[in-house]
Amino acid sequence: MRVKKLSRFGIAVALFTTFSSMAHAAENKLVLTGSSTVAPLAAEIGKRFEERNPGVRVDVQSGGSSRGITDARSGLADIGMVSRSLKDEENDLKGFTIARDGVGIILNSANSVSALTDQQITGIYTGKITDWSAVGRKAGPITVVNKAEGRSTLELFLHHFKLKASDIKAQVVIGDNQQGIKTVAGNAGAIGYVSVGTAEFEAGQGTPVKLLGMTGIAASVENVRNGSFPLARPLNLVTRDEPSGLVKSFIDFAQSADVHDLIKEQFFVPLGP
Amino acid sequence: MPDATGTAVTSTPRALRYLVLQGVTWMAAALVAGAFAWMLADIIWQGAGRLDWSFVTTSPKSAGRSGGIAPILVSTLLILTVAIAVAAPLGLATAVLLSEFTRHGGHAGRWIGLSLDVLAGVPSIVFGIFGNAFFSVWLGLGFSILAGGLTLACMALPILIRIAESGLRAVPNDWRLGAAALGMSRATVLCQVLIPAATPALVAGLMLGIGRAMAETAALVFTSGYVDRMPSSLFDSGRAISVHIYDLTMNVAGGDRSAYASALVLIALLIIINGAAIGLADRALTRRITPI
Repeated sequence: MRVKKLSRFGIAVALFTTFSSMAHAAENKLVLTGSSTVAPLAAEIGKRFEERNPGVRVDVQSGGSSRGITDARSGLADIGMVSRSLKDEENDLKGFTIARDGVGIILNSANSVSALTDQQITGIYTGKITDWSAVGRKAGPITVVNKAEGRSTLELFLHHFKLKASDIKAQVVIGDNQQGIKTVAGNAGAIGYVSVGTAEFEAGQGTPVKLLGMTGIAASVENVRNGSFPLARPLNLVTRDEPSGLVKSFIDFAQSADVHDLIKEQFFVPLGP
Repeated sequence: MPDATGTAVTSTPRALRYLVLQGVTWMAAALVAGAFAWMLADIIWQGAGRLDWSFVTTSPKSAGRSGGIAPILVSTLLILTVAIAVAAPLGLATAVLLSEFTRHGGHAGRWIGLSLDVLAGVPSIVFGIFGNAFFSVWLGLGFSILAGGLTLACMALPILIRIAESGLRAVPNDWRLGAAALGMSRATVLCQVLIPAATPALVAGLMLGIGRAMAETAALVFTSGYVDRMPSSLFDSGRAISVHIYDLTMNVAGGDRSAYASALVLIALLIIINGAAIGLADRALTRRITPI
């Protein structure tokens, strides 16, 4: 009896595997993969899109911007999600910006530093400045918090300060915005960089972190939207071919004012007014 | 006189040493229990306020900040079912091969054992990438609950096999000899004597495997995926509860409270499943073994 049951399991598994390819090719289904920053937003946009277009399914998968590029190119995904500007070698893909995200330098609230020049930030991140006394403040070691390799925020940061990943001497390497905020909130001598929207929200909630302005421009959601804040990035959807049909209507929807409330809910900045 | 001093000299330090040893073991135990209690208290403190009946019966809203986790719970249980349905028979069969059909310390057994031990130590992200490449892309399962469950089955198998094997080995050899003397066939001995006797170990192995599977994030992000819609079939992508918790803490600003509440549900689920499995194993054991 037991043996019979076991063999039935085996047959069932084999059948599943065989029929899988048939079930996979579903019509009216959009697959998005890529940036873990864009994924929660895209999933919310997808839900609203599904509500307005009955019978359509939008599946959002995360995994990072590089994955978004690769999957859009290979056709594994209909749309890739990329949380940075497209590079020159990626101009075979079509990009569509749906929102903007600013990256701001954050310090612990207990830190008396109120502004840093680009040079000082470069010095701190390359290990030339290791103590807060060097920027004219109370002495204490600086804990440099850096993003892990492959993160879009890291690329944006490196690009802005004209650094190479290998130049950076960091004490802590983190993955996501939330982790960065938690690290800096728990260490009075730490410096890090995270999404402005996230930091503004967390600081408003009483988390002991503060945002530093850049070249005299305050790090605020407003300044990210109007483009004056220098350290900002676009959140893009990319496709391999010129969008048509369902892909086109989804991208149009994601760029419309109908989703501005969703974008704000994720602490990003909509493009339009 | 020398006798009396002799015992006095040796017994005091010995008693002291015993006391110190006892103290250290108690402290170690208290530390472990304390760490768990602290973690649990923290999760309950932060999550209990967010947890109510609607949390487990509604869909997430605003990327999980509000709403519930119903589809995520269903996906998790489906992934787990697939993983167990595949891992349990395969694991049992391999354990039987290792304990009953290979010589202890023989070549085949040693190599299979070694490969299992290596596999048990492989980081979960490697299983995730393998699962994505093999199940999702090569077999064409895509991001689906089935692909996630199969990946987890691969991950849970080594532990499951090792524990089931030691459980089967622990069955006294007299039982095998007795059964052979009665002229029972090998299959009958296996099904009627060995497997029932090893049930507690099999369940323990399954529990450890499930524990590892339920807590898995890295292996599931790339296989069962990120979609938090209520799944309608095993070919749908479904977000597992651990992936949901990770996403809420790491990618969603203001998702902390929902993450704590989800963690509370995950722990409750583990306790329920563990309790049920241990209860079932006890019942099966008393029914099969005692009357003999």
